[in-house]
Order: sequence, then structure tokens, then C-alpha cells
Amino acid sequence: MSNFILRKTEPKDVSDILRLIKELAKFEEMEEQVVLTEKELLEDGFGDHPFYHCVVAEVPQEKQSSDGYTVIGFAMYYFTYDPWIGKLLYLEDFYVMEQFRGYGIGSDIPKLLSETAVKTRCSSMHFIVAEWNKTSIEFYKRRGASDLSDEEGWRLYAIEKEDPLKISAKKR
Amino acid sequence: MDRFKLRKAEPQDVPDILRLIKELAKYEEMEDQVILTEKDLLEDGFGDHPFYHCVVAEVPSEQQNSNNNGSVVIGFAMYYFTYDPWIGKLLYLEDFFVMKEYRGFGIGSEILKLLSLTAVKTRCSSMHFIVAEGNQASIEFYKRRGAADLSLEEGWRLFKIDKSSLLKMSSGPEE
Repeated sequence: MSNFILRKTEPKDVSDILRLIKELAKFEEMEEQVVLTEKELLEDGFGDHPFYHCVVAEVPQEKQSSDGYTVIGFAMYYFTYDPWIGKLLYLEDFYVMEQFRGYGIGSDIPKLLSETAVKTRCSSMHFIVAEWNKTSIEFYKRRGASDLSDEEGWRLYAIEKEDPLKISAKKR
Repeated sequence: MDRFKLRKAEPQDVPDILRLIKELAKYEEMEDQVILTEKDLLEDGFGDHPFYHCVVAEVPSEQQNSNNNGSVVIGFAMYYFTYDPWIGKLLYLEDFFVMKEYRGFGIGSEILKLLSLTAVKTRCSSMHFIVAEGNQASIEFYKRRGAADLSLEEGWRLFKIDKSSLLKMSSGPEE
């Protein structure tokens, strides 16, 4: 499977991106949690100010998936900012369809993102991994990743929408 | 202390932002790790595409070291927008600091309130941030405002691949 290409996504890829997002969510048994729509992906990714960037892996027509797709993998990333060092590239989602794994597509994607990170003068690439996902942890560790949660004791917190509304409405 | 003001940072605030970043880093005994410069902060925050946003807290000052409008910047919060592939835009709180002598007056609460308003106005579903697991005071502060520990609930761990490994990966042979 050496004839695949990696490329930046275009507006027309939005339905494939959503399909792959849902496929990855299904794998995590969370498909109904995907409330994002094609319209939002289009506005948020291809407007004046993109809130995310995507690369896709595409195969030629004759190699299409069993259900007829040629876009068979993707990675979603955006830029974050560390107040000590500056710009970072944050890898948000990363997925290759099961029947196209084992051909090096998954290795080429982080490699492309590393190039992007270096070219855009980012000091580091960050991402989160579920602690039970041993395969992914090994995959990243082989490429030099270190566990900041381990080394520095960071824990990720969220304040959900109802709470920001509660906080912003509260009188002093 | 009800005479403080919160506002969006402007280019002339960059020296104060760097000063406060260093003060927070010093508190964590990491001041020498701050290699960011005023020039980086200016380009990255006030160019065509801002990579971060800042709000600052200022108080009136009688002293020489005040800025042009007779105020001194004594707190800040740095944030940016991130993207969750299931729900869309999120507001990510990166840094948040009020100078020691100005604490206990509700400035921190007001900053968080302003950020929550910003999150809602920009149609973000959630505000995310990380907290060091040893920092009980901050954990309590956030939990009182409804924060949930996703590392606990969902088992997420934060990883990084730093520049030397990025360079290695981007120039290395195919696996």
C-alpha cells in the first residue's frame, strides 16, 4: 500500500472528516456523543479564522474501501500556546480506517505533522492519550513522546457549558 | 479593592504580560524556563492570526511605574480556542495569575467569570485547562465553580513530543 497520499483538507472533505470522526467515536463506543455537524466543520475550519486544521490520507479509486471511500484516514490539529516557550502544535484526533492499517499510513501522518510543527516554529507537539490505550502509548513512545502527566503531574479539567453560564450569571 | 478593571490586552501590555508570566513561573521555581520574549508575544498575540488571547487586571496607581493611563497591571489570564471533534469549539485557559498582594479581593473570580462569558459568547461548549495534581488550592477554586477532573473521570494523560524528537521524526526514514 505505497500508493496513498497525504494532503491538507479542503472544504469538500468535510463530509469525509465527519464520517471518520464518527467512526473513531464508534470504536470508543461514543458515536452518539458526536453532535458536530458538517456545517460547523465547514465554518470552523474554512472560515476567516480556522479553529482547526486537518490532513487526510487518500487512496486511488481502485483501492477504495469496501464501502466505496477513498479518504481513509485523517488527523485534526490546531495551534496552542505555552506562556514559557510559545507556539505548540496540538494533535487532537488521529485515525486510519481498520482495513488500511499496517501500511505505514499511521507513521506518515505524525511525520507530516512533525514537519508542520517545525516549519511553523512550534517547540513541541502535544496530545492526550487515554491511559488504558497501551497500543497508542507505545506507538508514541517509540517516536520519542514523554508522558507529561507522569513527569509533571498534570490533570485535565473541564468546566462544561451549564457551568460557564452559571459562573457568568452569578452576581458578585 | 473594588477599583480594579478587567480588559482585553493590547500590544503595549506585552511587557507586563511577560513580567507576570515570569512571576508565575518564579512561584513554580521555573523562572529560567521562560524563554519567550516580548517580540514573540507581540508577533504571536497581535499579528494577523493571534495564537493566544489575554485579559489583564489593572488597578489605579500613584507610582512612577504605572502605564500611560495611570494604572498598573496586576493580573492576567491567557487563553486560546481549541477544537473537540465531537462538539466543536472550546475555550482553553492556559495561564491565570494575580499578584500576591492583590489576592483575596475577588479579582480571580471576576477573571474566570469574564472568561466564562467569553466562552458562551463565542459559542464554546466548554472551558478546559490543566491543573497540577498537587495544587489543592487551585483544584478547590475550580471545583467550586463546577469543574470536573477529566483525568480522573476519563483517564486522559497529557503527552508531548518535543522539538528534537520532532526533528528526528520529520527527517527520519519510514518505519
